Amino acid sequence: MMGPLRRRTRLLAWLPLTPGGLFLLALFVVPLFSLLVLSLRPTDAYFDPQQGFTAAQYTEVLSGRYYRDALAYTVEMALIVTVLCAVVGYPVAWLLVHARSAVLRLVIVLVVVSPLLTSVVVRSFGWRALLAANGPVNRLLVGTRLVAGPVNLLTGPVTVVVVVTHVLLPFAIVTLSTALSRIDDAYLRASSSLGARPAATFLNVVLPLSVPGLVSGAAIVFSLAMGIYVTPLLVGGANQPLAGLRVYDQALRVFNQPSAAAMSFTLFAVSLVAIAVLTRFGHHWERRIHD
Amino acid sequence: MTRSRMRPLGSGPGVLVAAWVVLAFLAMPLVAVTGSSFTASDLVQFPPRGFSLRWYQVVLTSRDWVVSINLSLVVAALVIPTVLVLGTLSAYGLSRGRHRGWLMALFMSPMIVPEVMVGLGLLTYLQQLRLVNSITGLWLAHSLVTLPFVIRTVAVSVHSLDAMLERAGASMGARPLRVFGTVILPQLRPGIVAGGIFAGVLSLGEVAVSMFVSGPNTTTVPLRVMSAVQFELDPSAAAVSTLLMALSVLVMVLLSRWVNLSAAF
Repeated sequence: MMGPLRRRTRLLAWLPLTPGGLFLLALFVVPLFSLLVLSLRPTDAYFDPQQGFTAAQYTEVLSGRYYRDALAYTVEMALIVTVLCAVVGYPVAWLLVHARSAVLRLVIVLVVVSPLLTSVVVRSFGWRALLAANGPVNRLLVGTRLVAGPVNLLTGPVTVVVVVTHVLLPFAIVTLSTALSRIDDAYLRASSSLGARPAATFLNVVLPLSVPGLVSGAAIVFSLAMGIYVTPLLVGGANQPLAGLRVYDQALRVFNQPSAAAMSFTLFAVSLVAIAVLTRFGHHWERRIHD
Repeated sequence: MTRSRMRPLGSGPGVLVAAWVVLAFLAMPLVAVTGSSFTASDLVQFPPRGFSLRWYQVVLTSRDWVVSINLSLVVAALVIPTVLVLGTLSAYGLSRGRHRGWLMALFMSPMIVPEVMVGLGLLTYLQQLRLVNSITGLWLAHSLVTLPFVIRTVAVSVHSLDAMLERAGASMGARPLRVFGTVILPQLRPGIVAGGIFAGVLSLGEVAVSMFVSGPNTTTVPLRVMSAVQFELDPSAAAVSTLLMALSVLVMVLLSRWVNLSAAF
C-alpha cells in the first residue's frame, strides 16, 4: 500500500530542485564542460579551435615558465594571505562573539559585512586614493620621516598581499566567529577554575577547539585567493605573475581561449588539491579532539 | 552575578586594540572613497580638499553615467525575481530529499570555482548563443553568480520551518503545492526578502564575471567605475561608488532586522 505513495513523495522531494538544477546545468555544468573540451582542442594560427583532441595546451601551459611560475607565485601569495586572514581576523571574530554590548556587535557586523556588499572596484578605488603619491599613507610616511619623498605604493607584491587580504578578511572573520560561538563557555570556566591563566586557556582550550573553523575559513580564503584577478588588476599587480590575471590576459587580451581554458583548469585543480589537504587536516584534528 | 560577567577569558585590552586596528583597516578604503567624492578639486584627493557636491551633479547630468545606472538597475530587476524563484525552491528542496551532501556541493559550486573560470566558461558559451554584450547575457551571468548566496540566505529560514504546520496542512487534505504556497512560503518570507535584497546588491556590484560577458553596449556601473580606476581616478566615479555604498549600508541595516547577516557568507 505504501509503495506508490512513497514513490510519489520521493518524486515530490526532487521537484523543487528541478528549476535550479536545470539552470545550473545549462549555465554552469554545460559551459564548464565545453570549456574543458575547448582546452583539449588543437588550434590554428588564430587560436581558433579545430576538430580533434590534443593535450598541447596543457603541456604548453605546464612546461613554459610563463604560467608555471605564475601558479607557484599564486600559491605562495594565497598561503600568505590565508595565514594573515586567520591571524588578523581572530581578534575581531573573538570580539564579535564575546562583546557584551549589542551596539558594539552591530558596529562590528556592519564594518565586517559592508566590504562584502561593496563592489571590489569600489574598494580598489579607495585603495588607489589611499596609496596615491599625494595620498594619506604617503603623507604619513613622509611626515614621520620614514621615507624622504613619496614612494610608489601602487605596485608590488606587498600591496597585492595587503589588498587581497582586505578583500578576503571578512570571509575569514564570519567563518571564524561561527566556530567561536559554538565553543561552550563551560570549558573556559572549567579551565580558569582549575587555575589556568587566560593565555594558557587560550592556547590549550580555545585554539584547539577553533581549528575546524580556522580550517573551513582557510579553505574559503585560499580558494578565493587563488582565482582573484579584479583586485590585483586594479591595485598593485597588473603586471604581477598571478594565475587569475594570466587567464584574464590570455582570454581577453591575447584572445587565446583554448590556452586560457587549460590555464583555468590547471588553476582549479591546484586549488582543489590544496583545499582537499586542508580539509583532511581539519577532519583529522576534529577526530583527535573528540577522542 | 550574570553568566557573562563570569567569563574567565574576556576581551582583554590587547584583544580590543587589535580588533579595532583591524576594523579600521577594513573600513579605511570605504572611508577614502566616500571622502574623496566630496572633494572640490578636479582630481581625486583624500582627505578631500574643500567640500562640494559638484561630482554628484556631474554624475546625474552625464549621459554615460545615466545609461550605466539604468542598465545596472534593469539587470538587477531581472536578476532578483529569477534567483528568488530558483533559490527559494532549491533551498527548500535541498533541505529534504536524500544525497544532500553532493547536491549542496553542486548548488554551491559557482562560489567555489574561480571567478575567471566561471567568466571564461560563460564567455565561450554565450559567444555561441550570440549573447555576449547583451542584457540577456548579463542577466544570466549575474543570476548564476548570485544564486548560491540566495540559497544560503533562504536556507536559514528553511531550517527554522515548523514541520508540524506542514504536516497539519497535509493532514487536512491540502495538496503539496497548496501546502507550499500557503504554509511554507509565508514562513520563508524573511529569508526571501533578505535573499532578494542581497542578490540585488551583489548584482549591482558584480565585475569579475561581467568583465567577460559584457561589451561596449553593456557597461554596467561597476564596469565604468573600473575603467575610472584603471585609467584615471575620476572623482565622479567616487561619487557613484558612494551612492552604491550608501545603498548597500542602508540595505544592510534593513536586512539585519530580518536575518543573521553572517549566515549568508
